[in-house]
Amino acid sequence: MKVFLIGAGQVGTTIVEALHEDHEITVLDNEASRLRAIAGRFDVVTYEGDGTSRKDLANAGVGSADLVIACTSRDEVNLVAGMFARREASGATIVIRTSNVEYVELWRGGQLDVDFVVSSELETAFAISRIIGVPAARQTDVFAEGQVQVGEFDIDEDASPGVLGVPLRDAELPGDSTVAAIIRQDETILPGGDDVIHTGDRIVVIGSPRAAKAWSTLLWAGGGAVRDVVVYGAGRVGSAIARVLLDQGISVRMIEASPEQARRAADALPKARVYNATGFDPDFLERERIGQSQAGIFAMRDDAKNQYAASLAQVHGMAFTIAIAHEAVSVAAFEQAGIDVSVNPRGVTAEEIVRFAHDPRMQQVAMLEGNRYEVLDVTTRESSRYVGMAFRDMPVHGSLIGAIIRDGTAIFPHGDDVLQVGDRVIIFTEAANAPWVVEAL
Amino acid sequence: MSQAVGHRIGPRRRLAIDVPAAVNLIGALAKYLGLAALFPIPFALWYEEPFWPFLAAGAIVSGFGIVLERLTSGAAERVGVREGFLVVSATWLLAAGFAALPYLLSSGPQLSSPIDAYFEGMSGFTTTGSSVVSDLAEINRSLGMWRQFTQWLGGMGIIVLAIAVLPRLRVGGRQLMESELPGPEIAQLSEHIRSTARKLWILYVGLTALQVLLLALVGWIGIDDEMTPYQALANAFATMPTGGFSTLPRSAEGFSPTSQWILAFFMAVAGANFALMYLGVVRRRPRSFVHDEEFRLYIALMLVASAATTAMLWGYGIAEGEEAVRAAVFQTVSIMTTTGLASADFAIWPVLLLLSLFALMFVGGSAGSTGGSIKVVRHLLLGKVLRREIDQTLSPEFVMPIRLNGSPVDERTVRSIAAFVLLYVGFWAVGASVIAIDSAITGAGLGALDALAASATTLGNVGPAFGSAGPMGSFAELGDASKLTMIGLMWAGRLEIVPVVVLLTRHYWRL
Repeated sequence: MKVFLIGAGQVGTTIVEALHEDHEITVLDNEASRLRAIAGRFDVVTYEGDGTSRKDLANAGVGSADLVIACTSRDEVNLVAGMFARREASGATIVIRTSNVEYVELWRGGQLDVDFVVSSELETAFAISRIIGVPAARQTDVFAEGQVQVGEFDIDEDASPGVLGVPLRDAELPGDSTVAAIIRQDETILPGGDDVIHTGDRIVVIGSPRAAKAWSTLLWAGGGAVRDVVVYGAGRVGSAIARVLLDQGISVRMIEASPEQARRAADALPKARVYNATGFDPDFLERERIGQSQAGIFAMRDDAKNQYAASLAQVHGMAFTIAIAHEAVSVAAFEQAGIDVSVNPRGVTAEEIVRFAHDPRMQQVAMLEGNRYEVLDVTTRESSRYVGMAFRDMPVHGSLIGAIIRDGTAIFPHGDDVLQVGDRVIIFTEAANAPWVVEAL
Repeated sequence: MSQAVGHRIGPRRRLAIDVPAAVNLIGALAKYLGLAALFPIPFALWYEEPFWPFLAAGAIVSGFGIVLERLTSGAAERVGVREGFLVVSATWLLAAGFAALPYLLSSGPQLSSPIDAYFEGMSGFTTTGSSVVSDLAEINRSLGMWRQFTQWLGGMGIIVLAIAVLPRLRVGGRQLMESELPGPEIAQLSEHIRSTARKLWILYVGLTALQVLLLALVGWIGIDDEMTPYQALANAFATMPTGGFSTLPRSAEGFSPTSQWILAFFMAVAGANFALMYLGVVRRRPRSFVHDEEFRLYIALMLVASAATTAMLWGYGIAEGEEAVRAAVFQTVSIMTTTGLASADFAIWPVLLLLSLFALMFVGGSAGSTGGSIKVVRHLLLGKVLRREIDQTLSPEFVMPIRLNGSPVDERTVRSIAAFVLLYVGFWAVGASVIAIDSAITGAGLGALDALAASATTLGNVGPAFGSAGPMGSFAELGDASKLTMIGLMWAGRLEIVPVVVLLTRHYWRL
C-alpha cells in the first residue's frame, strides 16, 4: 500500500516506525532536519514542502497514494492538507489528526470530507478511561465495539493466591477470558493448561470487559472499580479526560494553576469540582484529601511537573497514578519514578492512525510492549485453512486466538469450538508474525 | 457632526455625554407618547364626560416633544450607552407628568394638587398602584380609564414599545431596552431587539385581550354583577402590567370568587417571564417552563407562601375553606408579583400575616415580566452566590461558576446583582426613614412597620402598604415630603435603580 504522510514529528515518526516494513511511505514536512532524521532511520521517500500547498502535495505524489495521513501538530494544516488530498487522490483513504474535539464532532456529523478524524485528546482520554476501568492493567484496548477487551497486567505480590503458582487449568480465573501470553523476561509463553503464572510475570489477557474488570480485582490490591479521581491540569487533555470519566459516572476533581483555565473548565464541566491551585502545596493536598482519591491523572502540559506532582501525590497517599508523557522518553522516566501507568498522547494517536493502514479485512490493531506484539481483529476467508477446524486442533505458531465475533456477539472459544467463515477473530501475535497470520486466516 | 452641533447648542463645558442627542430622542418619544391621550376620549364621549383634558394633555406633551426635537435638530440620530441612561430616566419622569396632566386639567375634587397628580401619574406608569385618591367615586369614568391605561402602557415599557414601533431605535436600542426591561438580562429570545420588543408586546396585548374577554364573560353570564365590560377592561389594565389601581373603593373585594380567581391567575401570568412564555406557549415548547430554574422557584414560592397564608388565615379564624384559600392565594400572588390588588383588607390582619406579606414585597416577579421589586432570579442567583461563599470558606481554591439553567453566569453580572440588591435595600431604608420622620412631623399616623412597608411598596412598585395606606385606604393623608420621596422610590424602583444612580455620579456627566 502507498502511504502518504504529512508531518514528520513524533506522531509521524511513530507511524512510520510501525508501517515502514510493509508499505511504501512518502513523508512530507516543511522542516528538512526532521526529514533527514526520519530518512536516516527508515527507508522512506521524503519531500520538503508545505502541507497546505496543493502544488507541493501534487509534486510529492499524493495523487498515487492509497492512504493519506495528515498528522502535523497543527489542526489547520491537517484540515487543508486533507481537503487537497481528497481532490488529488480521490480513491485514497484520508485520515487527519486534530487536537480539537469539535472537529471530531463535525466529522461524525458528516461535515468534514475526510474518512477519519483522530483526536489526540480524545484517544488519550479513552486510553485513560480504559485504564481506570481496569486499574491493574498497564494497558488495555477494546475491540468489536467494546465487546472484547485486551489487557496487559504485571503480576506482583498483590495478586490473589488463587492465580499464582497454580497450573492455569486449576487456577480460579474469571470466565470469558483467555490468558493469551505470559511474558517472562525476554521469553514469551503462549500458555497451555500446564503453564503457571509467577510473580514478576507480565500477562496478556483477552476477555469480555466484565472479565477484564474481574482480572483487575484479582491482581490489584486497590480492589474494585475506581469511583473518584483527581485530574491535574484542566487544559485540552485534562478536560477531555475529565469529560470522558464524568460521562461514566466517575466523580472528578480537577486541579488547575491558571485561574482562566480553571474557570473555563468549571464552566464547561458542571459536574466536576475544579480547584484553582498548583497542586504542589502540601497544605492544600492535605486539606482537600487529594491523596484519598482512588486515582490521580497527571495531565499538565509539562512532563516534569506531571512527574513531580505524581510523586507528591503518592507521598500524600495516592494509591494509583497515571501520568501523561508528552515526550516519548518520559515514559521510561515515569516508570522509573514509580508512576503506575504512563500514557503518551502522540503514541496513542499514532496507534489509532496505524489501524487504517492494515488489510481491509482487518478492523483494528493494538500494539503491546512497544511494537513487539500486536492484537489483530481479522475476518476469516473461505480459503483459510483453519476454517472448519476445532480450536484444540490448531497448531501453536506464536499466536493465539482470544475471541471470535460471530453474528455480532463475542464468543470466548473453548477447545471444542470450530472456526467458521466470516468469523471475526481477535488474535494475539508477535508483530513479526502478523502478516503471516492475516494471510493464513 | 458633533462639531456642527457644538456651534448650534454650544456646550459650555466638556460633557461626557451627548446631551442634545439624548434630548432629541426624549423629544421624539414624548411626541409619540402624547398620542396615548387619545385612548380615553371615546370613553369620555360615550359617558358624556369632558374630553378636552385628554386632548389638551396630549397636545401639550406632543408639542413639548416636537419643540425639544426642533431645538436639538441636527444632533446625532443615535444615542449611545451613556446617553441611554439619561433618556430612560428622563422619559419616565416626563411620562409621569404626562399622566398627571388630565388629572390637573379636570380640576376635580381629587388629584387637584400638582404633587398628588404627579404621584398618581408616577404610580400609574410605574405600575405601582399606590393611590392618593381618597374617594374613587369622585373620579369620572374616562379619567378612571386613563388612570388604568397608564399602568398598561408602563407595564411592558414605553421604550420597549417605542423600539417595537419606531424605526429610529433599531440601532442602539438594546441598552435602552435593558435599562427599562425588568431583570438582569434578556437572553431568552436571542434575536434582533426589534423583533424581541414586538413579540413581547404582541404577547402582552394578547394576554390582556384574553383576560378582558374572560372577565367580561363572567359578567355577561351573570356570575358577577359588578364585572361590567368597563370593569373587565379596567381590571385587565390593572392586572397584566402588575399595576394594582383598583376601580372600586374596596379593591377586588366586591368581585365574585370566579372573577377573583381569574384576576389571581392573570396576576401570576403577568409576574412570569414573558420571553419564557413566548417560547413555551407561542412556540409550543412547554418543557421550557420545567427547565427554567427561575420559573420553578417562582411557582414554588407562590405555592409555599399561599399555603402558609391559608394556614394562618384559617388558624386565626379570619376565613375558612375556599374563602381562606382564595384570600391567601389572591393576596400572596398580588403582593409577590407586585400587582397590589386586594380581595380582602389585609391592613387589619394580625401582624404575623402582615410580616409575611411584607416579606413578599421583596420577592417580586420574574425577570422579563411586568412585575417589579428585586425579582426571583436575583434571589436565586444570590442564593447560589451565598452557597458558593460557604463552599469557598472550606476550600478557597474551589472554582465554581454560578449557573442559571445550566449555563454559567458572567461574574460581572453576578456582581451587579449583588450591587443591585444592596442599592435596593439602601434605597428602601433611606426612603422608610424619610417617610417615618415626615409622618412623625405631620402626624400622619404611620407606625414603624407602616413606614417600612410604605417605602417597600413604592420602591417595589407593589401598591398598598399597611395602616391607613392599606389596600382599602390611600396615601392621601401623607405629607408632601413623603409623597415626593415615594415618587422618587417608584421611579427608581421601576428603572431598577442603577440608571437613576448613574445619573447622580460626576463621572457620568463630566470627562
